[in-house]
Amino acid sequence: MNTLHIAKKEIVTALRNKSTFIFMLAFPIALMLILGLALSNAFSGSVEIDDIKMAYKIDQASPALAAGWQSFADAAEESGVTIEALPPGQDGKQAVKEAQYAAYAEVSDQGIDFYDNSRSTIESNILQGMLTSFADRYNLVAAYANAGASSPASDAGQTSVQLVKTSSLTPDSKPNSMDYYAIAMTTMIALYAALSSASLIESERSRHTIVRLSAAPVSKTEIFAGKVLGGTVINAIFIVAVMLLSHFAFGANWGDHPGHVLLVLLTEVVMAVGFGLAAGMIFRNKASQSFLLIFIQIASFVGGAYFPVDDFGGFIGAISYYSPLRWNNSGVMQTVFGGDTSAALWAACYNLAGAAVLLAICMFLIRRRETI
Amino acid sequence: MNIIEIGGLTKKFGDFAAVDNMSLTLKEGEIFGFLGANGAGKSTTISMIASLLRPTKGEIKFLGKNIAKNAHFAKMNIGMVPQDLAIYEDMSAYENVRFFAGLYGFRGGELKARVEEALSFVGLGDKQKELPKNFSGGMKRRLNIACAIAHRPKLIIMDEPTVGIDPHSRNYILQSVKELNRMGCTILYTSHYMEEVEEICTRIAIVDHGKIIADGTKEQLKAIITDSKEIWIDVKSVEGLNQEQLKEIRGVLSVRIEEQRIKIQSRAEIGNLNDIVQQLIRDGMEIRAVEEQAPNLETVFLTLTGRNLRD
Ligand SMILES: Nc1ncnc2c1ncn2[C@@H]1O[C@H](COP(=O)(O)OP(=O)(O)O)[C@@H](O)[C@H]1O
Ligand SMILES: [Mg+2]
Repeated sequence: MNTLHIAKKEIVTALRNKSTFIFMLAFPIALMLILGLALSNAFSGSVEIDDIKMAYKIDQASPALAAGWQSFADAAEESGVTIEALPPGQDGKQAVKEAQYAAYAEVSDQGIDFYDNSRSTIESNILQGMLTSFADRYNLVAAYANAGASSPASDAGQTSVQLVKTSSLTPDSKPNSMDYYAIAMTTMIALYAALSSASLIESERSRHTIVRLSAAPVSKTEIFAGKVLGGTVINAIFIVAVMLLSHFAFGANWGDHPGHVLLVLLTEVVMAVGFGLAAGMIFRNKASQSFLLIFIQIASFVGGAYFPVDDFGGFIGAISYYSPLRWNNSGVMQTVFGGDTSAALWAACYNLAGAAVLLAICMFLIRRRETI
Repeated sequence: MNIIEIGGLTKKFGDFAAVDNMSLTLKEGEIFGFLGANGAGKSTTISMIASLLRPTKGEIKFLGKNIAKNAHFAKMNIGMVPQDLAIYEDMSAYENVRFFAGLYGFRGGELKARVEEALSFVGLGDKQKELPKNFSGGMKRRLNIACAIAHRPKLIIMDEPTVGIDPHSRNYILQSVKELNRMGCTILYTSHYMEEVEEICTRIAIVDHGKIIADGTKEQLKAIITDSKEIWIDVKSVEGLNQEQLKEIRGVLSVRIEEQRIKIQSRAEIGNLNDIVQQLIRDGMEIRAVEEQAPNLETVFLTLTGRNLRD
């Protein structure tokens, strides 16, 4: 009860604050507009779905699979994705590296091995989404490996993805720049939840109200839980508002699985709230704001908030995998454009794991303090 | 019945003992004054009573129960008015009190009634909807009190509740304290203003360096001082006064100057008023009034600690 009482106070005061609206609503919408319109030309060239080409090789496949694959390839063709058999004697992985194809798949009864080029994230997301839903239909196990020239892990391990849910092909998904930035800005603003959360507890300290909270018959855990809940609900409200606005005002495409998309975004918010609270407690007010701003800026830059993370190699390419925005963008985009809901579930799992670690750090710090 | 029993209470910050082996008993129905200079350890002591700090050593009992083991019971029955204003400037007076009272488990109609009661008690009944950022210092202080009393605690702890406010608000607060006491609350009142403590408190403890160096009623405390007296001499202007010469006079213990008033503390048994007046005339002082003061708490404090309360 006390947790709800505290959460409610946070929500009510945040919704009363004009700057919350500017930051959480006006800012992402304005960025969507600016980036979506300004970059629409440069953008459409590289992600028009007609341009996507994938090569495949079929080996040891049952007749049913071979026939299924053929009809899948035909259906894809109608929507502008070219799926063609690899010319004999050519190395599929090499062809992907040389960017002749966006991706290459080896299809067999054991599953689908998928190789993509890390420079064409969006195409690869779309293809992966289509493939996993195909594989799902045929009860296959799709294995995905990154054959990008720069990735050291590419040949070492192929990650198997066990598919759990049937999802439909959405062949007419065609991400334009607005679709892309609607997603990228929303996942970015979800990460910004960390910034406001940093002061959830520290502001009680600076206003001395921490004294009253600690003198009241409320446990530290209840106070903390109230703060996490309050911070999550406020930010979730704005995330949903940004989604709706981008959809109805700019026609942004949020796909056929809004529930899954929402799951990714909400878990991302919980993680961001935990991140902000932990940073606030470790660095204290001012320093935590600077730390978070810098972190979020870098994470946004390398995680695909401002442009698709296509051409990064080397160091930046490597750190981009640590940006929470990378896995969130990827999870949402595969869900929206490829109909691959398992991608959403994976992103949500990463988020929840991150949240659990961060919230545990907060609890540890709180227990060590005399007052919360 | 004893509402608070403190035994051997110590709080160390590093090696420094802010509260040093303190023992103290508060009876139900008292207005107990905690008088001490800044840094004496008053806030640290009451923070431990209010469960905000954990004692390094010692025990605190509330109505006979150890507060560490019965935290919920103690917290439900204690109201804390912190030294620093502890209110949300972006929430109305009503919302502030409602939020804090809500932490004590009140909901619905009962919550509303208690919030309104607390606000009208501090004279903010007609300002419920307003934001504290538009309040005067005195009104904020009163709201600070309202937030601590809505749950009707048995013990109200007030940490310097009148710091930095106008005389009207100060008076209002002092009257409120007496009123709360009449309604049955025990009050632990912390201050470094001697006049306030003298006016409202039924019992007083003088705190210095984390220790209680004297406690009792004001009469008992003043009775400690039998060997010194205080003489107040009002002059037109203190310009040209030679304090050192005054201190040379036989029996004079200390000399303080407050605007046009010279306060001289002197041994009680020595008749030196003539010498003092003559010295002042030599210094060119125009004497307006001479008054011998009965011992007051300030002299008690000065005698016991060797320091002025406001130094
Ligand atoms: N958290 C703390 N850490 C270190 N020293 C402290 C802390 N709180 C108080 N002190 C010190 O303890 C002494 C007593 O402080 P306090 O109880 O606030 O005095 P008072 O309320 O009588 O003015 C002061 O010297 C103060 O500097
Ligand atoms: Mg104090």
